[in-house]
Amino acid sequence: MRISVEINGREYEGEVEPRTLLSDFIRHTAGLTGTKVGCEQGVCGACTVQLDGEAVRSCLMLAVQARGRALRTVEGLAGEGGMHPLQRAFHEAHALQCGFCTPGFLMSMEAFLREHPHASDEDLREALAGNLCRCTGYLGIVEAVEQAARELRGD
Amino acid sequence: MKPPPFEYEAPSSVEEALPLLGLDSTVLAGGQSLVPLLNLRLAQPELIVDINGIAELDYIRAEDGTLRIGAMTRQVTLERSELVKERWPLLSKAIGLVGHAQIRSRGTVGGSVAHADPAAELPVALTALGARFHLRSPGGTRPVDAADFFLGPLYTVREPDELLVEVEVPEPIDGAGSGFAEHARTHGDFATAGAAAIMAPGVHAAVVLLGAGPMPVRAEAAERALTGGAEPREAAALSAQDVEDEHRRALCTELARRAIEEAMA
Amino acid sequence: MKLVGRPVRRREDERILRGRTRYLDDIDPPGAAHVAFARSPFAHARIGGVEVPAPSAGVLAVITAADIDGRVTDLPVQGFEGGEVSAEGHPVLARDEVRYAGQPVAAVLAESRALAEDAAELVEIDYEPLDPVLEARASEVTMSRWHRVSGDVDGAFAAAAHVVRASHQLPRLAPVPMEPRGAIASYDEAGDMLTVWVSAQDSHRQLAGLAKVLDRPEESIHVIVPDVGGAFGSKGAPAPETMLVAAAAMATGRTVKWTEDREENFVASYQGRGMEADVELALDEDATILAIRARIWADLGGYLMPTTAIPTHTTAMLMCGVYDVQAADVEVVGRRTNKVPTGPYRGAGRPEAAYFVECTVDVAARELGIDPLELRRRNLIREFPYRTALGWTYDSGDYARCLDRAVELVKPERHSDEERVVGTGFGMYVERAGGQFETAEAELLPNGKLLVRSGSSPHGQGHDTTFAQVAAERFRVGLEDVELRFGDSKEVPRGVGTFASRSVAMGGSAVLQAVDALKEQCDAVSARLGGNPSLRDIAKAEPRLKASARFESDLVFSSGAYGAVVEIERATGRLRVLRIAAIDDAGTIVNPLLAEGQVIGGVAQGLGECLVEEAAYDEQGNPTFASFVGYSLLTAAEMPPVLAAFVESPSPLNPLGAKGIGEGGSIGTPASVANAVADALGGVRVDPPFTEDKLWRALRQETA
Repeated sequence: MRISVEINGREYEGEVEPRTLLSDFIRHTAGLTGTKVGCEQGVCGACTVQLDGEAVRSCLMLAVQARGRALRTVEGLAGEGGMHPLQRAFHEAHALQCGFCTPGFLMSMEAFLREHPHASDEDLREALAGNLCRCTGYLGIVEAVEQAARELRGD
Repeated sequence: MKPPPFEYEAPSSVEEALPLLGLDSTVLAGGQSLVPLLNLRLAQPELIVDINGIAELDYIRAEDGTLRIGAMTRQVTLERSELVKERWPLLSKAIGLVGHAQIRSRGTVGGSVAHADPAAELPVALTALGARFHLRSPGGTRPVDAADFFLGPLYTVREPDELLVEVEVPEPIDGAGSGFAEHARTHGDFATAGAAAIMAPGVHAAVVLLGAGPMPVRAEAAERALTGGAEPREAAALSAQDVEDEHRRALCTELARRAIEEAMA
Repeated sequence: MKLVGRPVRRREDERILRGRTRYLDDIDPPGAAHVAFARSPFAHARIGGVEVPAPSAGVLAVITAADIDGRVTDLPVQGFEGGEVSAEGHPVLARDEVRYAGQPVAAVLAESRALAEDAAELVEIDYEPLDPVLEARASEVTMSRWHRVSGDVDGAFAAAAHVVRASHQLPRLAPVPMEPRGAIASYDEAGDMLTVWVSAQDSHRQLAGLAKVLDRPEESIHVIVPDVGGAFGSKGAPAPETMLVAAAAMATGRTVKWTEDREENFVASYQGRGMEADVELALDEDATILAIRARIWADLGGYLMPTTAIPTHTTAMLMCGVYDVQAADVEVVGRRTNKVPTGPYRGAGRPEAAYFVECTVDVAARELGIDPLELRRRNLIREFPYRTALGWTYDSGDYARCLDRAVELVKPERHSDEERVVGTGFGMYVERAGGQFETAEAELLPNGKLLVRSGSSPHGQGHDTTFAQVAAERFRVGLEDVELRFGDSKEVPRGVGTFASRSVAMGGSAVLQAVDALKEQCDAVSARLGGNPSLRDIAKAEPRLKASARFESDLVFSSGAYGAVVEIERATGRLRVLRIAAIDDAGTIVNPLLAEGQVIGGVAQGLGECLVEEAAYDEQGNPTFASFVGYSLLTAAEMPPVLAAFVESPSPLNPLGAKGIGEGGSIGTPASVANAVADALGGVRVDPPFTEDKLWRALRQETA
């Protein structure tokens, strides 16, 4: 079947089977490889994108389910004015090493901070638990998210 | 892994969906439980009936004091509901513990109930609340009490030609407090044990354990003891008394104690 | 301008943050055929025959061992000095036997991965299941062995005032890089050039492995390592699947792509640890350690992968730990079991040695009634270089200072009440790093910028920034004027690769030497030109100035001391690590920000080992860890504060004075946490993972 999905404000069209996963549509049909696939079980979070602003696991959606919907991926996170405060904070705090998990963290936490601008440090930690990282040991990521939260609040 | 091939239908109403249900078809709601099974090829349905387009099943409303939740209500919608937070706080507590935000944004209330994972929080909370589940088939609708609905791990009374359409939660008991405690290896992982408790001192007590048996079961001995004025510790021990493994029994007892104390606070 | 020692932020970051990376699966060659493997469901079985399914749409080929017979050999096996290692390697595809569940038996090539998986399910393999052997001690097949006796060990034990015995067991671990493995191969028949993209720790070992297994000259193979999403040792040795992909590309003329999925990565990627040891210490009246005896069994799995035996040798060689003990009798046997092979996984033998030694030292302290810190202090090596009884020479160190800093930073705590117990423990380590050689080439580009090609290969460590710091400082230019190249066998000089915490000590030193040599050349041209020529002028006057370096060195030895404070909840047995102090001596630290990142990452893996990780097989030899349901990783919510600090005792063996920092966190953490848990349990010893079940029972044992 032929489907059309809006990603980062642009329409992407392609041929899919019902069983085609959204993660594969984004990466191999739309060619937006910034979103990564780490498990196809919904646990690692590397495939996290935003559907109508909500963070979702793209490996747990069928491509056909995104027909006519609007997605945002990491390629759409930076704006005209440069990188998003989260991206800048990740860089500053050395919150990435191999980088494979990074897009998933960015898309998860951008949604979370938008929804919970005044989240406590404990809430931030728990929100971070939805993405796995094997390289950093997380402490740099925690620092980055705390920093970004402060900046987004205008503290 | 990639899913095996399947036929796919996406009805936009319950009427359209019903004729598609049967032994060879599987309902796709939030997908947070089903799609991992497809991806691991542990499920190989011939037909997937995707009910995400059935808007009529997405609602939360209070009618005559009773809470009615459409089966396709996203877990995050339940989480954000001020109505539920205020009047059925046990549900808010339980839903916040389900997986992670990214799971709750797609996962549904009905899906969690119908899937009946023994590690799931919602079936436990709904059992404690005395909920009722409405099953619709071409022959009509039948209500099933939560206490009778779950038969075992991933196994319920729902027939293949039935669709879970609504979760009904009775009016909360005056002055009742609630508590939910659980334990998982890491944050957001499947719960290994847990407990839900509702207490209106001297009037009503509900205690349901997660992970103490093949499905959520009300710990009736503990409930009677609590209504009779027993201390949380005592009641908690009663609730887990049938758990064979020593450590597991201690764990369930401790979680039940915490849930009961929270309900009494 | 001084750059070495500065916490420079990474140049690599922006393209990662913007999603502009290219890991293996991001590469989509048009018309590629996709591979799925039919893998053994049995831990041990004979194969009677393989029946391939009838041809179907989209399926291009089904390949079995018979089809590649004569085109490939088994994978090579690396031995070690002073011991015996079997030469029998891992077959590319199983022939008449499978020895672990998950072993690849047949490969299906199809137009898509989904179609390949469909067809793989239809491959009929006639298995005759056999009883699996699942315990190293019970196995009758020894695949590697090493034994050294040095000094009068028997005499020391006979004369000892105290003999302390302890046994320890470390279960297998899965490396779980966030990016699983993968390879793409393409064969140009006209030019007889095989090109292989592979998610790997370096191009060199992949190239050597492909040349050997496919029996091709190395010049006819081009290996490209793209962005790599972590490895931790698991992508060092070439994989049988990579060999199959290459052979398939040559046989079919199609470009062939294999992306490992997470299930495959769990069951078929070689695992770490899996060792147990009986350790004995002989001590005299004043707690001086006179001798060490150790018998170590390694659960190696069904086959020797190229580097399976190496960690066993490393463990054995480090069994005197940080102590001045000149009598040792250490034997390690590697036994065959019906599980996936083991191999190097972050620490690769060093954490095992640290665990076995440090836990036994704490047992000794308790038996002798002496403070564990005091026992350590009385026995620490204090002068360097120090030649150990087992044969290595520790080049540098300051063990006493590391221990003092660990005590200072962890703030020991001990407490017991109705609800919880709190304990403190320490673990010290010394580890071998560096060694062999590494290469680099430095070129002056026409625009006056510096191009450095390195034999090291990054997979998250930040080599691009770290090496640029070294090069820019030596060449006296800004960081922005330095470009690094890694990972492409046609673009970088043949080197050794990235593993064993060797990149800064070896790769960084090679970069330094190449840049210094280039600078000399540039200075000579500058002097000839007179005036104050810019680098651009120099490049114009003398185009293609280039220098290469091959830096060779003996092993360097990093060391450290870790402290842990833990709390155990009595009601449930739940363990909470309250804080970790991580003191590492990796010599000169080029970039402290990145170095600390390595420490914390290693600590997280060490804590995972302590709290939740175990790659367990059931009684039939089936993996219980085929998905994240059966194998947990820690999340951000579980990480305790980590107080990391460096002690810098520079190595005399390289111009940077560097040792290695990549593995310390995973080496020191388990020993310190194990000792803290034992401290909280009043001396009851438990092996990892420290599950609630074990700790709850141990607490009852302790109070009983």
